[in-house]
Amino acid sequence: MPRSSHALAILGSGLYSKLPETRVLLVGAGGIGCELLKNLVLTGFGDITLLDLDTIDLSNLNRQFLFRKKDVKQSKALIAAKTASAFNPAVKITPIHANIKDADYDVDWFSQFDIVLNALDNLDARRHVNKMCLAANVPLVESGTAGYLGQVQPLLKNVTECFDCLPKPTPKTFPVCTIRSTPSQPIHSIVWAKSYLMPQLFGEDEEDGGTELDDAEKQGENADEIASLRAQAAAFKSVRLALRDSTPLEEAARKAFEKVFFHDVKTLLSMADMWKSRKPPLPLNYDEITQVAASSAKENGSSPSVNLRDQKQLSLAECLELFIASSCRLALRLRSGEDTISFDKDDDDALDFVCASSNLRSFSYSIPTKSRWEVKEMAGNIIPAIATTNAIVSGLIVLQALHLLRISYFASKATPPTATLRNVNIQFKPSAPLGASRIVPPNPSCGVCRDTYTTVHCDPSKTLLREVIDGILGDGDGVGTGPREVSTYEDKRVLSDPDFDDNLDRTLESLGVTRGKFLTITDEDGDWATLAISICLLPKDHPVDGPHLILPSPTPIPPRKVKAAPASLKRPADDDDGIEISEGPVTKKARTNGTSPPHLNGNGNGTKTFLTKSPSKKQILEDEGLIIVDKDDDVIIIED
Amino acid sequence: MSQTESQDIETATTSLQTTSVAPDNKTRRYDRQLRLWASSGQAALESSKILVISGSGTSASVLKNLVLPGIGHFTILDPHKVTEADIGSNFFLETESVGKYKAEEEVRLLKELNDGVEGVANTSDLATILKNDPTYLTSFTLLIAHNLHPELLEQLSSLLRSDPFHPPLIVVRSAGFLAEFFIQFHEHTIIDSHSETPPSLRIDKPFPALLDHALSLDLSKLDPTDHGHIPYIVILVKAAHEWKASHDGRVPKTTEERKEFKKYLQSLRVKADEENFEEAEAQAYRVWAVTNVPSEISSLFNDPILANLTPTSPPFFHLLAALKTYTEKEPHTLPLSATLPDIKSDTTNYIHLQNLYKRRAEEEKEEFTKILVANPVQPQTPIDKGLIDEFVRNSHGLKVLRGEKWRAVDQDSARLKEASQSYPSHTAIHLAFSAMAALELKGVQVDHTTPAEDLKSEAAKIYGPFEEIEEEIDNAIAELLRAPNADLPTTAAFLGGLVAQEAIKIITKQYVPVKGYCVIDLISSTTSVIGA
Repeated sequence: MPRSSHALAILGSGLYSKLPETRVLLVGAGGIGCELLKNLVLTGFGDITLLDLDTIDLSNLNRQFLFRKKDVKQSKALIAAKTASAFNPAVKITPIHANIKDADYDVDWFSQFDIVLNALDNLDARRHVNKMCLAANVPLVESGTAGYLGQVQPLLKNVTECFDCLPKPTPKTFPVCTIRSTPSQPIHSIVWAKSYLMPQLFGEDEEDGGTELDDAEKQGENADEIASLRAQAAAFKSVRLALRDSTPLEEAARKAFEKVFFHDVKTLLSMADMWKSRKPPLPLNYDEITQVAASSAKENGSSPSVNLRDQKQLSLAECLELFIASSCRLALRLRSGEDTISFDKDDDDALDFVCASSNLRSFSYSIPTKSRWEVKEMAGNIIPAIATTNAIVSGLIVLQALHLLRISYFASKATPPTATLRNVNIQFKPSAPLGASRIVPPNPSCGVCRDTYTTVHCDPSKTLLREVIDGILGDGDGVGTGPREVSTYEDKRVLSDPDFDDNLDRTLESLGVTRGKFLTITDEDGDWATLAISICLLPKDHPVDGPHLILPSPTPIPPRKVKAAPASLKRPADDDDGIEISEGPVTKKARTNGTSPPHLNGNGNGTKTFLTKSPSKKQILEDEGLIIVDKDDDVIIIED
Repeated sequence: MSQTESQDIETATTSLQTTSVAPDNKTRRYDRQLRLWASSGQAALESSKILVISGSGTSASVLKNLVLPGIGHFTILDPHKVTEADIGSNFFLETESVGKYKAEEEVRLLKELNDGVEGVANTSDLATILKNDPTYLTSFTLLIAHNLHPELLEQLSSLLRSDPFHPPLIVVRSAGFLAEFFIQFHEHTIIDSHSETPPSLRIDKPFPALLDHALSLDLSKLDPTDHGHIPYIVILVKAAHEWKASHDGRVPKTTEERKEFKKYLQSLRVKADEENFEEAEAQAYRVWAVTNVPSEISSLFNDPILANLTPTSPPFFHLLAALKTYTEKEPHTLPLSATLPDIKSDTTNYIHLQNLYKRRAEEEKEEFTKILVANPVQPQTPIDKGLIDEFVRNSHGLKVLRGEKWRAVDQDSARLKEASQSYPSHTAIHLAFSAMAALELKGVQVDHTTPAEDLKSEAAKIYGPFEEIEEEIDNAIAELLRAPNADLPTTAAFLGGLVAQEAIKIITKQYVPVKGYCVIDLISSTTSVIGA
């Protein structure tokens, strides 16, 4: 029996014979990515592009099984491809160590794939790939895990929901003054240490107190408090300098400590009004703390055991000691050539620093302290991750991918059979480990997949915004809808609207609308659906004297917007762009005010906020029906 | 980062800079899973020995997911050599593996995943071991068998069933997109089930320090800020006490009274938007919901082992006996839990309340410990403080599961009929697998040429007349016969995750494992548990 016999028997020769030429893009070589790559290789896929921007960390090895200890710090994509190739040399795996959001990966690039599989850990990239797949009209399988929970979702343009059809929770933000002067919960201290203090001391030099304070001022926060915070920020200069010049390390660290935990607190205390109904913070005195520490050290000199070392609550003196030590280590790194150091949960010096300074702040404000273990989880947005859940999820991804491919290879484009597609959840019930539901059609008001996508090829340094708008709108007589009042955006930036035409004669490049980005055209009267135009470069063989702009042909006509289009009246057009023509009554939508973004993606106002406390995270994920991420970047910070 | 993972504990601790609290490399490696099962679960994993029977792709997938999180030891038992077809469905075999022993090749490649794990290949065959050396088999912590011939499986399952101290067995069957697994165990006790029901706050039965604290507050004298920061627990304890004083010592009973009580809570507000009072109103039911021993826990007190407790009974049952005695005394509750939920409050009030609960929980634990050491039957070795602590802390989520023998459900058509009511297609898949086993027991080699009718008549012997599930039976048999022996990589990957997950639950004795047959249909991406 040849190696393909099992797969052939079960997939059928029709689909099986297509797999070697099927071009698969796998985005992410982490927990899910490693498993998935193995499954793809074994299933008989023959052409896989694997992209990941990350390098291997020791904490990956409990599940990312294509990596060994010797691979730590190397590119995930490269090592995963190398390891997996060894198991089936006939498979072509193209590793790319890069960010999927880079300009190189534009819609033309996405279009070369037959299917895209997301194995990503952050919301931003997942959304980006979702949008690119809609623009390139490539089926996508979405997935995520968190601890024992997981989720797989097949996404097919105009047939299923897209990733953004359901609102996603936005990460919690905190009012600047809560973070800077009136923290009341451990998370406030941690956010302060990680997002404010660490950049102030070790990050890029900021000229003034930062735009954050300007915004706070505009929103009418206490003016005295803001003025004082500005003064504080200015005083960082001398501390920054001390950390970087030849000041003895310990002295520089002590200077930082005294500025932040003594003088700044004193300054805040001088604003008596703030502390009328609040417990005032306590300025921390360096000498007092070290003296107390020296006398108590004699009593218990034992060090904590290995396992519990980072789960122990640190005393005030230990926090101070850790602050000085980690500041010295970070300062030394700056002096040996690192320009800036930003927080990374896997960077021990940075984590020690954030752990120490957040706890010192908590001592000052009588907030419960957190162990290094807990700080890591809260500051690093760590989600538990295990091999088993990733294995289950990636098995399911391949199954859904096969269903999607069977549809794109063998089914009619107009009425694709969706009976086999399933959204699957791995749940926490011993009585039913999987929950599967039939796919849901697109949300008619989705601000992402209901747009009409098209592509222009151009030289952005020569092409004017006006040329693109006029070209796409056309004359209305065979080409486009004809001229109408529109606004244009790049992401959330307004480029033009009917009362603002200054940019029309600027080049796309000067407006930052370059390769890989989208130019969005919204109808001022709300009569037509939004156009999303992806920017690609001119073909390689384009003549030097040829036009600098190639418009799509035929020019897409977006569907007319209707009040509430009854599903029965919709029919998919036979156009590849998936244009829908609705025959319902035409109504005008409220005018956009020209400053708000065209898409809120459902996470605008009124989004719930949640509470940060690790044991209940799973519960929250379940209760809120949240998307689940593999790890790292975007756990939702919760608030009570 | 410069430390290596294999260094001994002494080096790891002494080479540390005193000022760093960074964890050792082992903790670092396992960071993401320690957040799920803690160091106690990790220690259990690291001292476990797993035997996997057959070196199939599914077996290797299961093992991969056990080697990565760091089990102590695994042995693969398989006398066969690697064929071309094997390498297509098994990631832990290479092209060069063809012709070599499967077990040896897989062990070599699996060991690469984690050098902290010991792996052994055993190329003898199970039949011989069963005959000559059964104690070898029972020396493992857990056995996992994939697509084992039913005759051998029958012998193995009987052996492991013959003594309550013999290890559990996970039986895994798969064919193409269909699969099922069953965990055979004697008795499985769980202290930390990671229960999602929070323990009682005992607002209806406030302990003295809590009541004193609540009564010491004069709400009318507090300034508005402080008033808005009193935790709802304190508000309810106080309000309930006052209510009882004016209602002959009774809590609100009727709907009318309960409405009245909530109105009373409203009247205590000094501002309309006090969130702590909103919370108090929402949680008011805690005043009249009586805290007693939850029925899932009190039913454990009837366990036969408690009646015949001996010094060699597992520590769990000694602790359970103490818990029973504890709950027979006032206030007839489980020991208090020290953890408070998230509540609206300021830091000072919250910490004060937390300290009250902590102190009381500590006292009740001491009371429990006194009862434990005064038990008429004492365990052989004294139970350590850590275990007492864990037991008391999780006493509201304790579980005792009792398993049954592999295939017991197939001798009980009433249970199968019941399962078919809720899960017709999954019950049919289970019957198809059981029918295949029955044919194989008769010496028939089942493959895609086996007549469907043969399987169907075996299934009928187990189930009786099919009636309304006839179509499901036909579908399941047809799908099974498409490739009755195919070990498909995606199915293997999926099963590898699911089965390893259950193995981890069994080994760590945390979380509740699947009881009954977990039946998997990967065409529809669905699972059900039948015969639980």
